[in-house]
Amino acid sequence: MACRKAKKTNRLWKFVVSSLGWLVIALPFTPLLAADNLETRGYVISMVHTAAYVDDQTCPAGTNGTRPDVLIRRVMSEGYGEEEAISIINSVRINGGRDDAGNLVGTAITLGGGASYTGDQSWNDFDFNPANVPSAMPDPNAFNATGRFAFGLNLDGEEGPDSWEHPNTGARGIDNQMWRVLGCWDAYHVNKPVIPYNESIAWDTAVDAMPAWLISISGEDLNQDGAVTVTFDRALNIPLRDAYGSIMSGASFAVDTNPRSHNEFNGQIKDSVLTIEPGDFYIQGESQFYPHLQFFNTQLRFEMKDDGSMEGHLGGYQPWRDYYHYLSVRGETDGAIDLIGIFYDLKRFADASPDPRTGENTAISSAYFIEAVPAFHVDDTGSLLAESVGQGPKFSGPAVSQYTEQ
Amino acid sequence: MSSYLQPITSKTKNNGCTKFGVLFSLLLCLTPDVMSQAKGAESAANSNSEQVTFVRLTSDQYRNTIHDIFGESIEVRGNAASTGVREAGLIAVGGRKITLSALELESYEILALDIAEQILQPSRRNTLLGCTPDDDALADQECAEQFIGAVGLHLFRRPLMESEIDSFVAMAQSATQTLGNFYIGLQAALVGMMVSPDFLFRIERSVANLESPGSRHLDAWSRASRLSFFLWDSTPSPALLEAARSGTLMTESGLNQQVEQMMTSAKIEDGLRAFFADMLAFDRFDTLDIDANLYPRFTKNVEDEAREQTLRTIADQLLIKELDYRDLFDARQTFLTPALAALYGVPIPIRQELGGTVPWVPYEFPEGNARVGLLGQVTFLSLFSHPGASSPTLRGKAVREHLLCQTIPPPPPDVDFSLVRDADNPNFKTVRDRLAEHRSNPTCAGCHTLMDPIGLALEIFDASGVHRTSENGAQIDTSGQWAGQNYEGVSDLVQLLKDDPTLTSCLIQRVYSYGTAREPNSAELQWLNTTHAQLRNEGVHWRELMQRISRNPDFYTVPNSTEMEF
Repeated sequence: MACRKAKKTNRLWKFVVSSLGWLVIALPFTPLLAADNLETRGYVISMVHTAAYVDDQTCPAGTNGTRPDVLIRRVMSEGYGEEEAISIINSVRINGGRDDAGNLVGTAITLGGGASYTGDQSWNDFDFNPANVPSAMPDPNAFNATGRFAFGLNLDGEEGPDSWEHPNTGARGIDNQMWRVLGCWDAYHVNKPVIPYNESIAWDTAVDAMPAWLISISGEDLNQDGAVTVTFDRALNIPLRDAYGSIMSGASFAVDTNPRSHNEFNGQIKDSVLTIEPGDFYIQGESQFYPHLQFFNTQLRFEMKDDGSMEGHLGGYQPWRDYYHYLSVRGETDGAIDLIGIFYDLKRFADASPDPRTGENTAISSAYFIEAVPAFHVDDTGSLLAESVGQGPKFSGPAVSQYTEQ
Repeated sequence: MSSYLQPITSKTKNNGCTKFGVLFSLLLCLTPDVMSQAKGAESAANSNSEQVTFVRLTSDQYRNTIHDIFGESIEVRGNAASTGVREAGLIAVGGRKITLSALELESYEILALDIAEQILQPSRRNTLLGCTPDDDALADQECAEQFIGAVGLHLFRRPLMESEIDSFVAMAQSATQTLGNFYIGLQAALVGMMVSPDFLFRIERSVANLESPGSRHLDAWSRASRLSFFLWDSTPSPALLEAARSGTLMTESGLNQQVEQMMTSAKIEDGLRAFFADMLAFDRFDTLDIDANLYPRFTKNVEDEAREQTLRTIADQLLIKELDYRDLFDARQTFLTPALAALYGVPIPIRQELGGTVPWVPYEFPEGNARVGLLGQVTFLSLFSHPGASSPTLRGKAVREHLLCQTIPPPPPDVDFSLVRDADNPNFKTVRDRLAEHRSNPTCAGCHTLMDPIGLALEIFDASGVHRTSENGAQIDTSGQWAGQNYEGVSDLVQLLKDDPTLTSCLIQRVYSYGTAREPNSAELQWLNTTHAQLRNEGVHWRELMQRISRNPDFYTVPNSTEMEF
């Protein structure tokens, strides 16, 4: 099942270097104010989660389950029978993870957030937290997603043996190796309106504390097909919620003038579908969700809706060690995953940006579902940078899975 | 800690007035018979003094009073006062007819216990008490008398009678002996004072007006209270009480001097806010229930911020910019928060530091925007809507009753509202269509013709105040007719409203009624008409209006019994 597509150029390294350069130079922020003949619409991202798609081909041998399943398998790997393993796990809160003979079974304990713990992290005779050094543990060989269909984007313009077919558009050559890693974990093994559990919770928590993520589109007539400029920025203020807990449309956001989270792409609108020319992407987030999102060879495909909102997929090649770090900070409890298994699968399925020294791929193709609702963008003086157009959807954002079936 | 409380003793001779303030006796005092007995007892003892009005403190007045007397650091954690009843367009007028239920009294007691505990906690007691007992475990009569006399002057807004002080001191001593702590004993006495009707009610007393034989006016202490709650929505300051004690407040120059000083205080905004909250029926916020399923942007935060937006805007325009009252109805300048701006659909500068408090920013709706004045604000639009739909009738009725002092009779008992409520009726897509059909019934037409045209001009705003252009796919028509003149929409309507003299005469009458807690009598109406005629030409400015009323001797005159509603 291993898939190593080490043919991408080493663009990630170039990107890191160029990002550092940005910080040092600290170029003055250039407002997105369009020329007089251009229209600029603003949006705030109301939902982000892994682009999940499942059908009966995705995990034909079954899924990896969730946290108790991970723990039971780990205990069994130490020589316990299934029944005893279940007994140990079920009573872990009472006896701290001991077998009938009173022996401490370290693997009965969920791996906590790797980066958030220091000091003695005794776990199954290790004096460190294996979430920090996952390679010290054996590969649990978790199930990976297979089949024909998955969401995402054709990042390399090619159709290869590992690429997917888009279930809605029929586009071929979809690059999304991340889905192979995640697709058979129950937390991700869902179709809309259900949202991957851990990201749903994380976003719901983060959105009330995290500076919003903004999108703007500029063009001569955004109701018509044509060339546009697309930006992504971080805001200085957080989103507002409406009475449903959804992200409120029509709110005002001050664009962060720090250029580190400013991204600009050439794009186009065709038949109300927005796409961009590939480029690098970086936006700062918060650790409750993702500390940042970073891609190179970034692409997107957003459908622009009559109510003024947009939704679709944003994807690119993502540094997989960063990604593992996000998950390990959340820990297995929140993630409902096996960190060790995820680590090995990320490493196995990474398909881009080989390290020039080791040859190991450092990035993995991935795709995220994005929903954005109309918003005003202003600069730090209050001048309007982008208009909010449309009332937005009735439901959007963290609570969306509760309502879309209505 | 800034407070009115000074360690002074104000002990006066018992003139025979009935003792209030002891919790047990309070319940008895509130029955009409006992109340009249109390009044009679006092009258018998002092033929020159009569209790004429009991007006319960509003929750804001209670809070302001506690803060002024004991300092802002004292938290008033709760609200014991019920909203009250609206009469003659004002809660303030209805407030004179309110008594206390047993449940409310219990709530006041709980509130008072909490406040008394805060006042007498170790970090505050030395500052507020002004004396220290020799032994905390024992009663100290002198210290207790000093504290109760000083506090009582401010709580009762008059000096305590000797018998009252003795009663509260005895209460404190009894509690001290039982509980073994002087300060806990004082707490008991303080609670007793704070559940007394002399504190919870503004009890106005009259005396014979020697300059106008046969007439009566408020005594000096009552005059101080009326003036203070009218201008500041709070208890009289030490300076005002001193003017009452010295008698200068009963002179023209003394009164003018106090009014002049009070008008320079920032507390004048509290008075303005209290009046407009009453006049504009903000008590409806207590039961406002805009359906979040239909109007998800109307959150609880938005509701609170809308209320503040309206009061902040009025204060800014009438006190800071000193604009004419009529300008409130077509002003485009206001203040917004991020949530309000989102509901209004406009961008605002964001200067909020992450994690900071809700920022208010000044905002001016551009020319051509339908948001003009108070009628375009979320407060008015939502308060006079149904939970799930806008209501031209409620909005029109509100303009007639709250802004023009007119009375719309209730609907007849057998009226059929089914068509008006049938918002999905394909034959009547807009509420204008449905109301037109409703008005075809002559029984309904009389009142609806007065109300609906005004409200229909506001139909471009839904029940939550969000702007819209259509209803059920049909374009909303905002045209109408006011006093024989046509208008195209809310911008035109408010200009016609501004030109209507009833708008300003209503304000002036309401302000006066608010201050006296009753409707004006014929003599007062004459003065109000004259004042209105002058101000309408000179400009209806808040400060000028408040000063004119406050300085008017008739404002403190007590109508003879045939004009009273007791």
